[in-house]
Amino acid sequence: MKRISSLILVFVIFSWAKILAQNVGSIAITNAKIITVSGKTIENGTIVIRNGLIEAVGENIKAPADAFLIDGKDLSVYPGFFDTNTSLGLATPSVRPTPSPSPEVLIQQASQQQQPQPSASKYPPGLRPEINVIEQLRPGESQFETQRNNGITTVVTVLRDGIFNGQSAIINLAGATVAEMTIKSPFAQHITFRTLSGGIYPTSLLGTFSAIRQMLHDAKRLKEWKTLYENNPLGLQRPEIDKSLEALFPLIEGKMPVVFYANTEREIIRALDLAKEFGLRAIIAGGHEAWKVIDRLKAQDVPVLLSLNFPKRTTTASEEADPEPLSVLRFRAETLKCAGKLEKAGIKFAFQSGGIQNYSDIWTNINKAIENGLSRETAIRALTLTAAEILGVSNRLGSIEKGKIANLTVSKGDIFSKERAITHVIIDGKLFEIKQDKPQTGKQSGDQPSTQTTQTSERNISGTWSISIEIPGQTVPGTLVLTQEGNALTGSFQTAFTGTSVIKSGRLTAEGFILSLDVTFGGGTFEVTITGKVSGNQISGIIQTPQGAISFSGTKNPEWR
Amino acid sequence: MKEQPILAAFVLVLLALIPSFLIAQQTKNQILIRNATVMTAARGTLENTDILIENGKIAKIGKNLRAEPGAKIIDATGKYVTPGIIDCHSHTMIDAVNEFSYSVTSMTNIRDVLNPTEIAVYRALAGGVTTALLLHGSANAIGGQSVTVKFKYGKPVEEFIIKDAPPGIKFALGENPKRSNFPPPPGQTPRYPRTRMGVMEVIRDAFLRAKDYKREWDDYRAGRTKIPPRIDLELEPLVEVLEGKRFVHAHGYRSDEFLNLMLLAEEFGFRIRTLQHGLEAYKIAPEVAKHGAGVSIFIDNWSFKIEAYDGIPYNAAILWRNGVIVSINSDSDERMRRLNLDAAKVIKYGGVPEEEALKMITLNPAKQLGIDKRTGSIEVGKDADLVIWNGHPFSVYSRVETTMIEGEIYFDRQQDLARRSEIEKERQELEKLDINKAPTSGGTPPPIPAEYRKDHHDNADEMPEIILQGGNN
Repeated sequence: MKRISSLILVFVIFSWAKILAQNVGSIAITNAKIITVSGKTIENGTIVIRNGLIEAVGENIKAPADAFLIDGKDLSVYPGFFDTNTSLGLATPSVRPTPSPSPEVLIQQASQQQQPQPSASKYPPGLRPEINVIEQLRPGESQFETQRNNGITTVVTVLRDGIFNGQSAIINLAGATVAEMTIKSPFAQHITFRTLSGGIYPTSLLGTFSAIRQMLHDAKRLKEWKTLYENNPLGLQRPEIDKSLEALFPLIEGKMPVVFYANTEREIIRALDLAKEFGLRAIIAGGHEAWKVIDRLKAQDVPVLLSLNFPKRTTTASEEADPEPLSVLRFRAETLKCAGKLEKAGIKFAFQSGGIQNYSDIWTNINKAIENGLSRETAIRALTLTAAEILGVSNRLGSIEKGKIANLTVSKGDIFSKERAITHVIIDGKLFEIKQDKPQTGKQSGDQPSTQTTQTSERNISGTWSISIEIPGQTVPGTLVLTQEGNALTGSFQTAFTGTSVIKSGRLTAEGFILSLDVTFGGGTFEVTITGKVSGNQISGIIQTPQGAISFSGTKNPEWR
Repeated sequence: MKEQPILAAFVLVLLALIPSFLIAQQTKNQILIRNATVMTAARGTLENTDILIENGKIAKIGKNLRAEPGAKIIDATGKYVTPGIIDCHSHTMIDAVNEFSYSVTSMTNIRDVLNPTEIAVYRALAGGVTTALLLHGSANAIGGQSVTVKFKYGKPVEEFIIKDAPPGIKFALGENPKRSNFPPPPGQTPRYPRTRMGVMEVIRDAFLRAKDYKREWDDYRAGRTKIPPRIDLELEPLVEVLEGKRFVHAHGYRSDEFLNLMLLAEEFGFRIRTLQHGLEAYKIAPEVAKHGAGVSIFIDNWSFKIEAYDGIPYNAAILWRNGVIVSINSDSDERMRRLNLDAAKVIKYGGVPEEEALKMITLNPAKQLGIDKRTGSIEVGKDADLVIWNGHPFSVYSRVETTMIEGEIYFDRQQDLARRSEIEKERQELEKLDINKAPTSGGTPPPIPAEYRKDHHDNADEMPEIILQGGNN
């Protein structure tokens, strides 16, 4: 039964499409069930919206004569839902060069990349906390259609590159200009515990922590120096101007929160330790194992932006492979229960899509969390008022109250029921009517509109390829497993020393193929690009690593049937 | 009749005593190991001996000891008890080993990347290891800061760390720091240094900078300057080394390099705490003894790279005869599990007495790590870090029955066996969940064979340098 109902749910979600956006002066939703979140749910009431704000809400409210009327019969009205961590609104840079360049070009590019780029910052890209996402946002609301179709009205958006990801912003998913969209900027500094590429320090998780720490120490010192100088400059060298360090001042002053990406128990503990060391106001983003760290989260009063991108098995069944480790099986099962456990422990949390591939799966997964112990009431709060509280905008958003910004999500039937369908989204008083139309898959924005070329390839390079990688003085054996669907390639890359890496993205090119993956060894993770050609059962190409290009060649393994 | 009030008073006193007696019993938390052959690693081997543990410490060692009611009794008749094994060179339970970008990476700290759930830790417990020095790799002349941990598997990570253990730092000499650089990208020069003299220069330069740095802070603290100096995370630990507060664990193979390093240390007024690997240390045993360095070695592993050609299995015996404190380490998640057998080999190669051989995996590494006041031997007052073996620990047929740290059992063979069916059942239940099922379409193939088993042991024959990133030992 559960499977069937979730199938129906998915179908319903897929079947929204056409949006009718309307700019109307005043809107009234009458005779609707109003889930105010901050107060009692009104079983049959009216909401009046004017000038982008909620003008009135209650049982005995009369719709004004000039209002555009929405008959709220069978409709439930919720505060607009939040997605508390996205990279929406960004012009996604093309990740890979096209078409596949020759090895000579790749080597040339690699040497060019190593040259220091002129920049105002003395820190390498990835350690520049002054970067603010707001400066890179594309205006225009059409790009947010998928999110609105899923009832999301407000999001946190941020760049995801480097260690200091930069400052995030809270934006509404409507508005013609960035200024119109913006609710709060900057909101927080985001930090990811990862390495830099290209052999630049830090190249390991060890260095990541010391690099963050050093910059925070340096920021503290610069601040102290500046204060000294401002009080009396006589006899003092003038303090340096350092945009990067100055961007850290609000962090060490506790004025700007720091969002740490941390899913596992030990990542969360590392974030909490760092926050404690420097007195940072931490927020954990991801938090799959937050339930294991409840005491620490409580002690430091740290909220969680819980990712709905639940882990699931992605590898196909195979008799030859080892069974999956018990820890992995447990991790997936326990993640479903995390929200329920946080609720029980009184940890503040909001939901985020967490880069989920199929956006409408956020609803499938919220329902999974509910099946695994989360109450519906807290689920709603995690999408609305708690989110607004964590983001520091609960005086303007997150509940249906007079005077708040008119962000509303309207659904037919209960939002968690399988009959549910989102019918209207109102953002800043602007009405988006969501009509059920022909099925359409919701894709995470930030992905480019499908770049797949229309020409379907007749080539098929699926299979397991045994390759030899030529390292100076050495030949290392490896395996490349490719699965081709259309022009897209998935699969894995394996050597005895790097373990197995899953291909992040891959496709056929005019001349061959191009794959992108992260390879781990010696404690570091490196982004690697593999370009190559296939001719019959022969394969050859170049592995582009941060440390240089390595060539490989090999043959296709016979297929045993 | 007269006795009655007295009797009543007596009963009252008795009643009053009972709760306090009960409380005392609860807080003492006693364990009594009975009738074992106790290899103390300090005062010889004691036959038919009991060990009484109270609140995680060894309270009494002797015959016919009595525990209070409610104490846990372990009958060790026919069994051997040794101190918990200490591995003085390990890269287990860390999520990163080398920060190879610079030749000096003293700003990094192993403390930041601990993974207390690493299964290798449990396997090490099953081999009797209770304590380890977790080191940065050897890609840099001066590597990262180390931590000394007890393998309290299942506990929060902060409980692993021995709080009163002196902090350490990894140094490395020879092939790894000079050669461990990746082939640089086209058009880029390789990382300095490229020679052994360059390695020494990097170390000297770092300490000169550390001295300047210290002076800068001294001036500021004395009010001679007004602007606070920068807190330099690279130089802070080196100042601690200069002040004798942080131990240097120096990876190396060749005697000439070790001599150079010891001279350099003496010039700067500190001592090298341990020479790690030290395959040629036997050539300079008197000099090592005079400097006061300990040596932590592999017992019979050499020739895995050019600078390791002069290794001999008599290294330990020669060093010991010269009064050097010697320990035997694993540098490997796999070898860590059978350090007892490596210690046994010391008896074969050079006739080191049994107790001295045992010390090389217990008390000696404890001394090298500055934790011998609390662990490393079975003596009253020390932590109850104990291993119960079903036979002599130097026999290949023996295995660990129970491993305890501070009186708490972290590995027990019988419990492990009993849990296996439970775990199998749990696995079956978990595999039934949708979320753990293989996708019906669009999945990626699983790794075949299983992923590379992590083993940090240096083996240049099998692992190309580029993949090893300079290796770890």
